[in-house]
Amino acid sequence: MISVRGLHKSFGKQPLFRGIDLEITKGEVVACIGPSGSGKSTFLRCINGLEPFQQGEIVVGGVELHSLNREKPGRADREAIRKVRLKVGMVFQQFNLFPHMTVLDNIIEAPTRVLRLSRNDATQRAVGLLRRVNLERKIDSHPSELSGGEQQRVAIARALAMKPEAMLFDEPTSSLDPEMVGEVLSVIQALVEEGMTTLIATHEMDFAREVADRIVVFDQGEIVEAGTPEEIFRHPKKDRTLMFLRRVLRRNALPPG
Amino acid sequence: MIGSRGTGPAYLKYLLILPVIFLLLFLSSSSRSGSDAAAKVRERGTLLWGGDAEGGAPYVFPDPKNVDVLIGFEVELAGAIAKVMGVPARFVQNAWDSLIPALERGDFDLVINGIEITPERTAKVLFSRPYYVYTEQLVVRREEDGIRGLADLAGKRVGTLMGAVSQTMLQQAGGVDIRIYSGVVEPYEDLALGRLDAVFLDLPIAAYYARPNPLLKYAGPPAGEGYYGIAIRREDASLKEAVDGAIDRLLRSGELRRIYEKWGLWNEAQEKLFHPDRSPGAGASGRDARDAPLVTFFPALLKGAGITVLVSVVSMGLAVALGLLLCLLRHYSGGPLRIAASSYIEIFRGTPLLIQLYLLYYGLPNVGITLSPLLAAFLGLGMNYAAYEAELYRAGIEAIPKGQMEAALSLGMSRRLALRRIVLPQALRVAVPGVTNDFISLFKDSSLVSVIAMVELTKTYNILAATTLRFLELGLVAAFLYFAMSYPLSLMARRLEERLAGRTR
Repeated sequence: MISVRGLHKSFGKQPLFRGIDLEITKGEVVACIGPSGSGKSTFLRCINGLEPFQQGEIVVGGVELHSLNREKPGRADREAIRKVRLKVGMVFQQFNLFPHMTVLDNIIEAPTRVLRLSRNDATQRAVGLLRRVNLERKIDSHPSELSGGEQQRVAIARALAMKPEAMLFDEPTSSLDPEMVGEVLSVIQALVEEGMTTLIATHEMDFAREVADRIVVFDQGEIVEAGTPEEIFRHPKKDRTLMFLRRVLRRNALPPG
Repeated sequence: MIGSRGTGPAYLKYLLILPVIFLLLFLSSSSRSGSDAAAKVRERGTLLWGGDAEGGAPYVFPDPKNVDVLIGFEVELAGAIAKVMGVPARFVQNAWDSLIPALERGDFDLVINGIEITPERTAKVLFSRPYYVYTEQLVVRREEDGIRGLADLAGKRVGTLMGAVSQTMLQQAGGVDIRIYSGVVEPYEDLALGRLDAVFLDLPIAAYYARPNPLLKYAGPPAGEGYYGIAIRREDASLKEAVDGAIDRLLRSGELRRIYEKWGLWNEAQEKLFHPDRSPGAGASGRDARDAPLVTFFPALLKGAGITVLVSVVSMGLAVALGLLLCLLRHYSGGPLRIAASSYIEIFRGTPLLIQLYLLYYGLPNVGITLSPLLAAFLGLGMNYAAYEAELYRAGIEAIPKGQMEAALSLGMSRRLALRRIVLPQALRVAVPGVTNDFISLFKDSSLVSVIAMVELTKTYNILAATTLRFLELGLVAAFLYFAMSYPLSLMARRLEERLAGRTR
């Protein structure tokens, strides 16, 4: 479904990725973990064409993105990026709901304008999705009237309204208050259980362990190691993985409050 | 909130104090009486005379061969009078339509600048004995056959000078579409360009500016004979005596005739200078206007206010739309369009609006584009403010988090669609306070279009004040009208901002 081969990316003269390979099959759930700044967010953004990259290729559902070196991509590149974006939905750390629109309008904006759905059909779809994320009653609210957890659930519904074949979650709970993390994760979990191909960058180790088919450990722009949750969390092969896990698990293991 | 609540009433309080301050200034200046003005002039050692050298030929104007030197028949007259009094003369520049108030304020000792002796002015200042017998001359385009005199002017666009006797005569003729100018060069320009059908001004002006122009010709004989006099403050009777004596000497010695002959201004009518009959000039009418209650001027002022509103609203509409286009070109297009938009913004922000207006109205005809005053006003203000609006929008766009564009793109929206539906609506909301603020500025800046023969509120005030010499009362009324329009505007703007703020965050 998603395959990344030999991905090279640098910010100016600062190299980040020096050849990353990753295959994600249909229905697979992959969690990227690793320290902040290790490149997992950037990796997701490359797949969605939000970040240009210098070498390598990314193939999403048969659509190929080649190195997007130029500031202004050419016409063919732009078309490819758009096709990719229609295949994968993306959820951001900062939710990025449109503050000047109601919840309903946030969700139906792209279906009506991009997919050319009628307003009625799009609204029906939106109502169904809001029911799934348990926010039907907020349909006419503005984003500013919602809690962080609610906003992120609307953002998920908004991405799903485009009927994507895969979903990218870029640290979806990192800017949430702790008591709201659960409600968002359970929505993602339900989605995963329905068989959605999912790539998620996260700091929630328990969640990654529970839902992911495969864990990918990033550090300093490299994939340190990849494997099943069992392999990574029980028997890490690399010292760097071990050190990272020790750091985060110790913190997570501290008694609450 | 407390601060903003406090500013309203405080502002109003200042507004109420304002008339009192004006009144005090007024009283203080008129109470400064010269016990012996002529002696004072001699004591000071110079005679200060006021006039307007801008477009002032042949009265007083910069020598084309050496623009640092002023020449003209009045320069020579002032020199001759001063010489009789035993002091040198020094010129003080002042706009023609406010020479009388400037004289009253004490900026100079007297005014020698083609001031016609009229009842309105006689009520305000002393006049010397006449020094020139003027007539008014109608000028039309070379090919014009239908206009031969004042009687043919009904419905025609006729240019004249603000506050001049010719203006009063045109008003009395009735039915004339009078276009009033602050200078004497511009009306002849506009006549040649076809923006006027005729110009009616003093003969010396026509002789200098219109006769050499092959596109123009005199229509009919001179009309409305009257006298030019030297204006002197009411309390300076001794100065008037000295000046009268000097004129008398210059007349008898033939000096005055020599000056006029040198400038081609001597004619038989000037013989009357030896026996002036003291009857005022042709345009005797303003007496009513001078004593009329203020209310009589309201229709004219309100009409001017209407033009002000029209000009402001249309220009702002243009500025808002053109500004958006410029902003988008500058930030989302490439190549020459981007450069063009950037240059436009920098050039229009970096040059004075007044010069832009002059270029549009008087400059463009040189390359064959002749705009009507109204269109030039819309374009001038609109194009200037567009540059500022573009910058406001840019600030608005930069204030919107990058994540908004990214979220829209990730949903498959094109850049253009994302810009139109997601980024711009938010950016414009950010820009609203600045835009409403600019609208209030533009509203006041609209008074600048009076330089291109648009009679809006400020110009109406200028005209009425120059005719009636009631600068104070009319000025307060005009200022009040501006305030009465702009204050509700800023209240509305504040409410709009609050509503938008409430809806987004």
